[in-house]
Amino acid sequence: MKLSKKVVLLGPFGVGKTSLFRRFIDNEFSEGYKVTLGVQIKKKVIQLPDGRELSMIIWDTEGHSNSVEDTRRSYLLGSHAIIYVFDLTREDTYKDLYKDLEYLKNTYSKVIIKVLGNKLDLVHEKEMKANLLELNIPFDYLTSAKTNKNVQDFFSDLAKEIAE
Amino acid sequence: MKHQKDNLQFNPQIQIMKVSYEGIIEETDSNFFNWAKSTSIFDAHPFFEMLREFERNKDTDKTELNFPCIHLEDSNTERICDVSFILEKKEITCILFDYTSKYKDLNQIAQQKNESILLAKELELKNKYLLEKEEFKNSFIANINHEIRTPLTSILGFVEVLEKTKLTFEQEELARIIKRESYHLNALIDDMVDISKIESGTLKIIEERFDFQNFIDGFNESYSKVAKEKGLIFETNVESNIQEFLIGDRTRVYQILNNLLTNAFKYTEEGKITFSVTKNLQRTNKLTLNFKIEDTGIGILEENIPHLFERFTRFNGYKQISGTGLGLAVVKNLVDLLNGEIKVTSMPEKGSVFNVKLPFKFEITKAAPQKKKKKYTLPENKGKFRVLIVEDKEVNQYLVMKILISNGNFYVDVAINGEEAIKYIEKRKYDIIIMDLMMSPIDGYQATHMIRNNYGDDYIAKVPIIGFSAKGSDNEREKCLRAGMDDFIKKPFGREDLIYKITKHIAKKAAE
Repeated sequence: MKLSKKVVLLGPFGVGKTSLFRRFIDNEFSEGYKVTLGVQIKKKVIQLPDGRELSMIIWDTEGHSNSVEDTRRSYLLGSHAIIYVFDLTREDTYKDLYKDLEYLKNTYSKVIIKVLGNKLDLVHEKEMKANLLELNIPFDYLTSAKTNKNVQDFFSDLAKEIAE
Repeated sequence: MKHQKDNLQFNPQIQIMKVSYEGIIEETDSNFFNWAKSTSIFDAHPFFEMLREFERNKDTDKTELNFPCIHLEDSNTERICDVSFILEKKEITCILFDYTSKYKDLNQIAQQKNESILLAKELELKNKYLLEKEEFKNSFIANINHEIRTPLTSILGFVEVLEKTKLTFEQEELARIIKRESYHLNALIDDMVDISKIESGTLKIIEERFDFQNFIDGFNESYSKVAKEKGLIFETNVESNIQEFLIGDRTRVYQILNNLLTNAFKYTEEGKITFSVTKNLQRTNKLTLNFKIEDTGIGILEENIPHLFERFTRFNGYKQISGTGLGLAVVKNLVDLLNGEIKVTSMPEKGSVFNVKLPFKFEITKAAPQKKKKKYTLPENKGKFRVLIVEDKEVNQYLVMKILISNGNFYVDVAINGEEAIKYIEKRKYDIIIMDLMMSPIDGYQATHMIRNNYGDDYIAKVPIIGFSAKGSDNEREKCLRAGMDDFIKKPFGREDLIYKITKHIAKKAAE
């Protein structure tokens, strides 16, 4: 049986959601910032370890300026997973992360929520992890869309989790 | 429909489709997407996969769902649409409003807005990084300053002690060289600290009223000796119409002129050095003075002049003359800080002329006489005075002891930190305490605080305390005074300065 699951990329603008989206779907990356208006949607079929196929429908949404509550609610309708992305080089994208997460967890209690710190290539990984732990910032993966570090692993793990 | 009403001015193109709950396109006008009838909408674009989640509407009422700004594309066309689904009993009506051009316009605006915010954030981050780097550099310089000045204090102090002993001519000469080089090292540290302060914006300009003629006489006196030693002619010409008392940062003006005169003497082997001061401009209580330092030294190549005031600039061929290339950078920075101007003209093998214009103020009313350094003498018929040195470094303990004992008026005890100092003062009465600042477990500030506050006995609580430290910061003295000390001596200190301050505070205490 073919599974189809909706996954939404959320987060402040300029954190690299579209870069992660492009890296995962087409294995492409380009320097420079290009704003996303509204939402772009693409599909990637993933082979699960048990032989099943999962169609991951990824919604790459427009980044918010203040709070995740600014994101249009219709975009999140029927989603199976939400990926909240922040920029490891910009403290303003993660210092109030807990507020956004609290909102998402309360509003979409049945949806899997993952937190990604992106642009790992621009920071020192060990120091960054220690810093995030010290600041009590939750995260599931630290990724680099530029170098592809942890991107495929993250989506594979997510696919397994949402297929369960 | 909501979208049509809100956005009529854009006259969107519309495509309407009827889709079954199984996802089969039952009807379409194919206005811009040519998706065939009877095919699956799920295959048309992944956006429509969400229809799989919709349950058949069992009510008679229609349910409408709106999705703004959806990027849709097929092999032929790419559109940005607002999409409405109307869930009915048997089927879903799907309406696509094409707002591509409107959204593309908005996209440009959003791009510019976000880019400018990102750029501002990036600049903010860079600025933060630079400030942190600057802070690190300044604290590094402050530490280095402390670490170098501490041994330098000992070197200079012991040379002075050595000079008071019986020396052969050769030994005298060697002591003189050690002293000269140590002063040079000290001046270098001063330059380094000044550059760092100027760059971090922490160097304060302190205006004071000073006797200008006396100020110039100081240069005349010191450099006439140097000129005599080097076999040069030194001339000072000061215009007679300059006010007797001026208001300005005497210390920094001295530093500028002293640096330029030192250079003039350093680079001149024969001939003459002329130091002239003329009044340039006077308006109400303000005036500008032009200081000209002219030498007949080795001069500077024309192409090197623009780089003269850069840090660590030393030109080939002058390597035999000691220096670090910081002096003129400090001069230029100080002149700028004082809102002055500096210009250089030079010819190789003929000499150089440095012109410095500096603004000053003066009092229009008649000037009061300048305060002179007061002379103090130790109280008579009291025998020797007891001094407690609180210092953790053996070499400094030994140096201060040597200076005080050789003076003949003092008994000296040494405590290695604040904790030991407290034990000493409880056992014995001291006339004065010389207190180092950085010690553990109890530092100089803490020890002073304890002495001033923990004892009812006035002799202990009011004992004069002089702080001494290699920390060169302007705040150090203030910090010592705030901690309850009476005075401060910066390391390296001269023998005379130390004796003067000790005498002053013992005399003042005796007079109370």
